[in-house]
Amino acid sequence: MHRPDIPSLASGLALIALGTVLLFDRLEILEMGFGAFGPILFAALGVMLLTLGLSRRA
Amino acid sequence: MNPEQPQPKRLYRSNDRMIAGVCSGLARYFNIDPIIVRVAAVAGLLAGGVTLVAYVAALILVPVEPGEGEPEPPRPTRSTGAIVAIVVALLIAWPIVIGGGFLIAGLVFPFAFLAAAGIAAWWAVSGEGPGREPGEVAKRALLGLVVLTGCGILFLAGGWAAGTGGGEVAAGLVIGAGVLLVIGAFTRSVRWIALPATALALGVGLVSAADLDLEGGVGEREYNPSSASDLRDRYKLGMGQLVVDLRDTSLPAGDTPLKVKVGMGQALVIVPRDVCVAATADVGAGHVDVLGHEGDGVNVDFEESRRARVGGKRLVLDADLGFGEVRVRHTRDFDRDFHSDIDQPDGNRACAGGDA
Repeated sequence: MHRPDIPSLASGLALIALGTVLLFDRLEILEMGFGAFGPILFAALGVMLLTLGLSRRA
Repeated sequence: MNPEQPQPKRLYRSNDRMIAGVCSGLARYFNIDPIIVRVAAVAGLLAGGVTLVAYVAALILVPVEPGEGEPEPPRPTRSTGAIVAIVVALLIAWPIVIGGGFLIAGLVFPFAFLAAAGIAAWWAVSGEGPGREPGEVAKRALLGLVVLTGCGILFLAGGWAAGTGGGEVAAGLVIGAGVLLVIGAFTRSVRWIALPATALALGVGLVSAADLDLEGGVGEREYNPSSASDLRDRYKLGMGQLVVDLRDTSLPAGDTPLKVKVGMGQALVIVPRDVCVAATADVGAGHVDVLGHEGDGVNVDFEESRRARVGGKRLVLDADLGFGEVRVRHTRDFDRDFHSDIDQPDGNRACAGGDA
């Protein structure tokens, strides 16, 4: 089976999670301030950069 | 040519590099420890940034040191040398001819910063470093700037969409980009989508986190109601400056509510001196100043609870701001500048207990 491209997979999942949080905030299902958005954004960016860096090293 | 004749010493960008090998190359040329040059470069950067320009110039003009076994790069021809000399002469003569060394700071530094930002962006996106040849460096800087500009546009578009009621669509696009990446991970990689999608998400997220509402228009709005009955239920502006001047407003004794909402910018409320002000302000990121009582930061939840004197007048302000400043004053600042002899210091003196 074709081996998935891990950075693409991780980035995609991170963006889906980020977009879902944003959508919920816009629909007023949850209330997001800077205190929540900052860590969520940096976590998503961290996942993307980490997997990209590890794949380049490999 | 006599092979025994010593080769003239040449300046190269060293392969023993931290960034692009400029400092290390200089150190090798002058036969000193590279750390000395690096420390001097950082000191120059902190002392005005002159080394940044020099570094970018060296990045473009100085060739990379040939590797072991590699042939030495061709020496510059007369025309190349002439071009380099002209560029250097122009850089030196420019401020003298046009006038004022500040031109360097005003024109060259932003150019150098843009070039460096472009190279860094392209490096981050493609994994390709600054490059070896001047043309390659320029091309990558340009490509990086194109990427940065595109991402900037997407960031603004996301912010604008979120601020004008289209945030759901933008968030949906971010999710869609994520789904494409996941599918691409198993079929054909489309990693490049991650960067524009993140820029879009950043715009939506910042505006959402600040609860910024850009509906209500853009620009300057000023209101001068003549009586309490002329006051609107709420004064609203998307982006810009909103001024509610109550100095000529005949306010009744007791409480008068006032609601203002500004997406991004400044809400300025000017009140008569005989009116006590009680205020609550919800600010995404910015500053609140109610007659000298201040609060600032992100997610600011400001409250100024004051009571009026017996039989006195009280304005009950409810402010909602995304980014910017809420300010309550007895005068406009420029009024105070021009009439400082007749102005009194600001303060909530009409409240019970004075300006506590």
